[in-house]
This record gives sequence, structure tokens and C-alpha cells, in this order.
Amino acid sequence: MSSNPPIPTSDRKPVLDALDVSKSYQRGDQFVSALRAVTLRVSVGELIAIVGPSGCGKSTLLHLCGAMDRPSQGIVRFKGEDLGALSDDELTRLRRQQVGFVFQSFNLLPTLSVAQNIGLPLLLGGQTEKAVTRAVEVMADRVGLSARLDHLPQQLSGGEAQRAAIARAVIHRPSVLIADEPTGNLDSENGVRVLELLVRLNRESNTSIVLATHDEYVATRMGRVVHMRDGQVVDPEL
Amino acid sequence: MSLFRWFIIRHVRRERLRSVVTVGGVAIGIAVVVAIRLANESSVRGFEVSLEALSGHVSLEVTSPGVGVDEDRLAELSWLRTFGQVSPIIDSDILVRPADADARGELLRVLGVDILRDWPFRDYRFVDNLVDNDDERERVRSTGSITTQEFLSLLTDPDAIILTKAFADRHGLTVGSRVELLVGDHIVVLVIRGLLGNDGPAQVSDGNFALMDIAAAQLALGRLGTVDRVDIQLDESHVIDRAEREIADRLPAGLSVQRPERRGAQVETMLAAFHFNLTALSYIALLVGLFLVYNAVTVSVISRRAEIGMLRTVGTSRSTILWLFLGEALVLSLIGCVVGVPLGGLLARVAVEMTASTVSTFWVAEAATVPAVGVADVLLSFAIGVPLALAAAFLPAYEAARLTPLAAVRGQTDLFVRARLPRRYVVSALALFMLAGVFSVQPPVSGLPMYGLAAALAVVGGGALLVPVALSLLQRIRHPLDRCVAVEAMLARANLAAAIRRLSISVSALVVSLAMMVAIAIMIGSFRETVVYWIEQTLQADLFISGARGSPVGDRGGIAVDVEQVIVEYPGVTAIDGFRSINVPYRESMIIVGAGRFDVLMAHGNLLFKSPSDSRTAMTRAVGRDAVVVSESFSLRYDTQAGDRIELPTPNGPQRFDVAAVYFDYSSDRGLVVMDEAVFARHYDERRPSRLTVYLDEGTDPRVAREGILASLGSTGRIFVNTNATLRRQVLEVFDSTFAITYALEGIAIFVSMFGVASTLLTLALERRRDMTLLRLVGAEQHHLRRMIMVEAGILGFVSLGIGLVVGVVLSLILIFVINVQSFGWTIQFHLPILFLAQSSLVILVATVLAGLYPARLASQLSMADLREE
Repeated sequence: MSSNPPIPTSDRKPVLDALDVSKSYQRGDQFVSALRAVTLRVSVGELIAIVGPSGCGKSTLLHLCGAMDRPSQGIVRFKGEDLGALSDDELTRLRRQQVGFVFQSFNLLPTLSVAQNIGLPLLLGGQTEKAVTRAVEVMADRVGLSARLDHLPQQLSGGEAQRAAIARAVIHRPSVLIADEPTGNLDSENGVRVLELLVRLNRESNTSIVLATHDEYVATRMGRVVHMRDGQVVDPEL
Repeated sequence: MSLFRWFIIRHVRRERLRSVVTVGGVAIGIAVVVAIRLANESSVRGFEVSLEALSGHVSLEVTSPGVGVDEDRLAELSWLRTFGQVSPIIDSDILVRPADADARGELLRVLGVDILRDWPFRDYRFVDNLVDNDDERERVRSTGSITTQEFLSLLTDPDAIILTKAFADRHGLTVGSRVELLVGDHIVVLVIRGLLGNDGPAQVSDGNFALMDIAAAQLALGRLGTVDRVDIQLDESHVIDRAEREIADRLPAGLSVQRPERRGAQVETMLAAFHFNLTALSYIALLVGLFLVYNAVTVSVISRRAEIGMLRTVGTSRSTILWLFLGEALVLSLIGCVVGVPLGGLLARVAVEMTASTVSTFWVAEAATVPAVGVADVLLSFAIGVPLALAAAFLPAYEAARLTPLAAVRGQTDLFVRARLPRRYVVSALALFMLAGVFSVQPPVSGLPMYGLAAALAVVGGGALLVPVALSLLQRIRHPLDRCVAVEAMLARANLAAAIRRLSISVSALVVSLAMMVAIAIMIGSFRETVVYWIEQTLQADLFISGARGSPVGDRGGIAVDVEQVIVEYPGVTAIDGFRSINVPYRESMIIVGAGRFDVLMAHGNLLFKSPSDSRTAMTRAVGRDAVVVSESFSLRYDTQAGDRIELPTPNGPQRFDVAAVYFDYSSDRGLVVMDEAVFARHYDERRPSRLTVYLDEGTDPRVAREGILASLGSTGRIFVNTNATLRRQVLEVFDSTFAITYALEGIAIFVSMFGVASTLLTLALERRRDMTLLRLVGAEQHHLRRMIMVEAGILGFVSLGIGLVVGVVLSLILIFVINVQSFGWTIQFHLPILFLAQSSLVILVATVLAGLYPARLASQLSMADLREE
């Protein structure tokens, strides 16, 4: 059930297809099923919110979509390529080039400065330091962190840290941005700023965003909302 | 106790790798300390065991310095019998001719006794003897007892000798076999008349003991007219202290009375500096092991902050937290000691092997046996290992106790704090370096370089304090690595900068070991160069001739006049110098008094003089006069300068000698006093020289002359002739084997500290799992993480090596100019063994990078699952 009318996606090219994916984990002697036969298509430039109670499988679905994990069953296709057929290093390269991540707990590297954190995907991709520095400055300006580039993550406020994380997630112009409760650790003012930033980036660069949230307000700002419960999508529209 | 079991014991078991590395580090440290202690003990103990075994029931002994007691004087000593039994003794270390002509002869302790008098002094138990009657032989075999008459009959022949069964078995000898002794320049052939069991004197040096009749021994060993000492067994009516005083008062000049134990004390004094330095070196390995304890407890505290917070929240007191972590150190060190002590027993065999030849070359000729690990060793290990481990663990344990519940639960940590340049470390390091300077100019304490050692410790401490400074500086400067592995280098530097406090300890351990290695390499290199120079300057003769080859400590016997005559007459020989030496007691220790032909030495040879400036003139003037030249070690040890007068004990009583000059000598640290042979003959005896140095014409080939002289002497005599080149090579071989133990100890310390660095890198990698998973998330491939850790390891190696080299050079100056001079009295010229240092630096760098291999592999295998579980 979504609060906005669904945006027709049939005209847009799919960037990500999760087809009938299931994921189960072994906990001691027991198998816990985290996802059960979920299907999700993400089109280019689409904004999707996945909502549901804790433990419903939102994060697991995001991990599969972000090439962080492999499904127990089903197929995940990224721009038509089956992720299951890729090696670990190929998945890493795909993440580095095509996917950006934003987490509730920012997940910045505490030992690196803000500039180094933001430029990391480009550095790992082998770009020159000069090019990286230029890209970082542009990106920092876009997220309002130009004055904080030499600081360490622990010297930033929560809102700043999340903006730095977003900058790192999009500096390499990914096709898909995976955001897991990006406003969950922020006060409402910073939460709104971060949300607006994500929406702006989506508009400016046509990056698809798949976002998991508890926050109804956040969900309303997305183009489409997918509801989950007990590892399954319960939205009748899908 | 339950809390300790749940919180600490389980953790120690769970963190198996870290626990094993830490326990291993402590165990190796303890093992090295125990091994060196046992090796040191073995050299003195070997002598003392022999002393006890040989002393038997001897209460006192009358000796004459260096040359033995003239038999003519024995008649004057008949009053000694009023104190108890008296037995004159010949006691000598003689070489047995080896079956293989090129092998070194084995030393045999030969005791020549007057059987009738010696019977009550020592216990001789026979296991076999040479009698015709089979029944009688069987009785001796079964009971070991033998009558005085039978004993006497065994030694009536002048060629009779009694050996031990142990020695005979080792060499495939039986009763009736012949045994050949090398005495000076000739071979003495004796027949084995009986075998002793492993009791009494036969226990000496693993059974290398022989018994002869005193007259036969005097004849065989060329000692006619003298005995080495007179043993006294006091009657029960005499109290030893009083008897010793009374005898001393009545003895004529030149003779002295002492208890046999005093010889053991003299040996201990001689070996004190050698043992002191080895012990100091062994403690470095332990120190490095203790760094690992610090490391383990620090990791334990950091990785368990949340648990500490939980414990504090539910009411656990600060002191309980403190004791819990000290308890962890206690457990690790206890296990380390338990493993280390027996390991030390095993290592002792290697250490004894490595030190025994040095000890027997320079100080006492005794077969070193490895003593078993005793209760004292066990107690000492625990008494040192456990408190030091607790001290090492105190800082992290105290840090844990100081944590507030909130800070701990929130995981607030100072681990990831970008370090500022720690000024107080710089100041403290400078203060320690200055303190080292002050200590360096202090005199020795009781002959031991205590202040020198303190100076070395201060320099090492200062070097360790420079580690955080260097790590902090390193993150500020770009370095060449950035060009080739830019992102990995950036990550590595950031990681290291954030973990400076943690890293400093294990890197300091490596720095300490490396600095010691560098210092010791420089010291040994300098020493070697100095010895090479000394040999070049002083070994001027073309041929060096000695009697039986073997330990110089043993009595080689003299080279006969007719042998010398053959050499003198050989074509091309221009001059011959002869040298003989005796051991003489001097101020609670033993020095070497030697004699040569000063005129020949001045005309053909050379000595390197230290003082005075006109030493050659002074020495020339010393010919025929009561004047001596003394070695530098004698001069420093006994604070004697050229121009002073010293009093030496002689058979005719104390005699004063002018010190004409001080010369450099590296052959012994005991102190050498050398006089002209005519002066020696006047005050001591007219013994033949045991070594000859031969000077040849310019046109004579030494190798040809060597062959010619040997051919002229024929097969009857047995002398060893070395050319100048072979002797130089032999000297350097002895030098290198002497320092093998030093390198071995250093190697162990470096090995343990490498473990420390590897374990720290591993710990850091495990602690940073989450960060590394994040890196994987944003696109770091496995090779990125591998390289990152390898770069970290390389940087640590580079920093350790850099500081280690600088501190090592400073330390070497202290070793060379303070500790060495105060311990052994040798001046060593500073020399930098650049090639060795370059090679070992490369090895260390490669080794540290390799130490990063396992953590790197582990890091690269991290999967996204680690982040998912967050």
C-alpha cells in the first residue's frame, strides 16, 4: 500500500530485477527464512521506499539488490546481468562502479578524513589523486561539506556524517543508491535535509534509489512504496 | 572466582591464537633466561664438581704461585704432619693423542699421588684391574674394593696409568691397552692398569680423569723435582680456621695455604663479567616476551569495552576490573613459565655447547655438563616472569578499571584518535638520552659495568619513546609508496596513525631487539676489525710452534732444548722467541704471568703499546731488570699504569716489579703480566717455553720451512707448526665461535618481536573487521586489503629499523667504550660493518612484510556477512 499513486514504470528501462528471491540463514541447528520469494523491479531513476516492521526482511532485500549478498533462491539481475554468475571480485567491482550505499549508522571509515572517505570509491577505481580531489570538492560543495573536508568523521555532527556518507555513495555516479534507514539516526531537521538531498540527487543524476525506512514521512517522498512483512512483499500492487 | 572464570579464562581459551603467541613469547623469554643461567652455571659448576671430586677429604692445600712446590722444600714442611695427613700432588690437564691426527686432543685430568699417603684423601673404587688371578679380578669387579698393597702394585711401573671406565668405554680401551699422552713436544706412552668406577675423583669432567703414581707422573709430565701442591687432611682435633691461620704463619715465603674451595671462587671471579653480559643479553628476550603480555591484555581490554561497561553497570568495582585483567596476565605468564622452564632446560644444551668452547678457551679447561633444571631455576623463573608480566599488564588493566560504564557501553575509544605529535615523548626521550650520557662516564661497581648497563637501558628506553613520535611523523609526510600503491598507502597510513598508542608497544619491542642486534653487530664487527689489526701488527713471526695442541688453558708442557736446537739450525731461521706462562693468584682472581725474550721481540717482533709513548725504549730497558709489561686488561682491571710498581707472588715470596709499559692484548681478559725470560727464571723457574715464534729470512718460504722443520724432527717428537697465515685464520675462527651465542640470543629476541608485530597486525586487522568490510562494500577488492596490510607491515618494519639503527649505533658506543672496557678491559676501535647492517636491514624489512602475510590473508577473506550482522 503506497501513499502516492504508483508511477508507471513500464516506459522506463529496468536497472535492477529481483526475481522470486529467497534468503535463509542458519542459526545453530535452525534455518531462519529472512526473505521468501520476493520479486522487485527497479527502473532507471526510480525512487522506491521499502517499509515494514523490524525483521521483516527490508535490509536483506537491500543487501541482495546492492550485490552485497547472494540469494538462496531466485535471481537478481543488474542491468540484465545475473549477479549469481559473478565472482566475488566482480561483485566488488560492480558495487564500486554501479552501486552506492547509505546506512543508518553512516559507516564512514573513522581513520580517514571526510575528503578521503568521499573520494574512496574513485581512489579504489584507480583514478588519479588530482581527479579525485576535484571530484571530491565538487561533491562536497553539493552536499554542503566544503568546510569539513579535513575533519575526521567523529568530529562531524550526525547530519554532516550522513551527508558525507551520501557524497561517498554517489561520487562515482552509481546507477542505484541503496539506503538503509538513512534518517534513522538523525533528528527531524537533519532527517529532512538528508532526504531532500537524496531526492535532489535522484533528480539531478537520474540515480535510482531503493530506500528502507520506518518513517512514513520519508516513504511519502518516494515515488513508490513497497510494504513488507515476515519476509514477503505484501503490497497488492506488486 | 566465577567471574574470573567466565570473564577471563573463557576469553583466553576463545582467543587461542593470541593466547598461544603470548604464552609462546613469555615461554621463549623465560627459556632463554633459564638456558643462559644453566650455561653460566655449567662452566663454574663443571670446575666446582671437579674440585669437589678431586678434593675428597682435603681440608687445606699448600701451594706456590704458578710453578708448584719444590720437592726440596717438602722436607722443611714436615711439621705439617702435626696438623694431620699430608699428601703431595701432581695435578695437570694433559692432552690425549687422538686417533685421527688432525683431530683436537681431549684433555685428561691427570692426578699423580703417593698411594700410601693419598689413600685416606680420596675414594677410589675399581671396576677392573690388571691382575693375573681371575678370582681376584672378579672380587674387585663385584666389590670395587682393593687393598693398599694391590693398589701399590698397580702403579709400580713408571708407565702405569689408571683411567676411568667411562673414558675407556668412550675410546674403546680396556685394561692392558696403551694410551698416548701429548706432553709438550713428545708423546708419553702408558699402559692402562685399572679402571675406576664413577665415584670420587673419577667423576671429574665426565670421566676424563687419570691416576698415576706421583714419581711416574713427574717423569712423564716433565715435572721432576716439583709437586703442584700439598694436600692436608686435618686431624679431628684441629679447627680449620685456626689451623689455616697457624699454617699460614709458619709457611716459608712463597708458599701459601688455602681451602680448595677458593679456587672455585677465583674461577667465578674470572667468569663474572662474561656471565654478567650473557645474562643481561638473555633478559632482552624476556623483555620482548613481556611486550607481548602488554599487547595481549591491551587487546583484551579494547575488544571487551562493552563487557567491561556491562560489568561496571551491574556494580563491579574498579579494583575487581583491575584484578580481572591482571589475572589474565597472571594466567598467561604462569603458563609461559611452566612451558618456559623445561624449554630452558632443552635450550641449555645448545647454550652450553656454544659457550663451553669459549670458557675452555679463555678461562677454565673443564668439560661442561648441562646441569639439570633445579628448584632454584624454577623459583627464579616464576619470581621474575610473573611479577614482570603483571607490571607489563598494569597499564592496560588500569585503563580498563578507569572506564566509566557509559563510555564502555558506548564503545568510546581512544583507539581511533588521530595522534598529535606527542611532545612529552620527545622530551622524555631526550631526558633519557642525557641520563645515558651521565651514566656512561661513571666507574664500574665491583668490577661490573652496572652504570654502563643503566646507560644502555636509558638509551633503549629513549629509543622506545621515539616510536610514537616516528609513527606520528610518518602520517604527516608523503612517502614514495604513495606513488605506486596510492590508495593502499593512504589507508595503511591512516590506520597506523589511528593506532599509534597500540602499535607503539609492539614496535618498541622490535626496536629494542633491532637496536641490540645493530649494537652487537657493530661491537663484534669493531672488535673483529680491532683484533685483525692487532694480529697484523703483532703476529710478525713466520712460524708459530707449540707442543700439544689443545686448550691453551691446559698445561701444554715445554718444548725441549734439542727440539729448539733443530729449529735454530734450520736454514733460513734468523731468530726464535720462546714464551711460557703460568697462572698466578692476584687480588682474589688469577692472572697470567708470561715470559719471553724481550731482545728478540724488540728486534724482530712487535707489540702494540698503549703507554708510555716511548714504550719500546722502556721495554728495552726492562731486559734483565725486575720490570714487566702488562696488558691493557690488567692495567684497567687493577688500575695500574706504566711507571707503577706491582707486587706479584713468587715461590720466593711477594716480589715487586716496575711496570715498564702497557700494551694492547686481546688474547685474554684475565690480565697478562709479561717479563723477560731471565727475570722469570730468577723469580719463578727455568721451565722450557711452551710456544716458540720463529722469524725467517726474507727469502725463505714459511710453508717450505714448516715442512722442513717437521721433517728434521722426525716422527719421535710431536709439535705443531703453524704458519703466520694459518694462525691468523685460527684466531679469527676462535673469535667467531666465541660470539656465536651472542648472535643466537639476538636472533631469538628478534624472532619473538617479529611474532609481536605479526600478532599486533593480526589484532588490528581483527579489530578493524567492520572497517575492512566497509571498504569491501565501497569497492575495495581483496588485493586492496592485502596490500594495505602489507604496506602497514612494511611501514612498521621501516620505522622499527630506522629507529633501531640509530639507537643501535648509540648503544654500540656504550657497549664498546663503556661496558666492554669495564667488563674485559679491552680498547676497541669503532668500525661500522656496513655490508652486514645493509644485509640484515633488508632481511628485517622483508621479514616484517612477511609478518603481515597472515593478517593480510585474513583481512582479504572478510565477507559482507560481517557488515550484515551489524
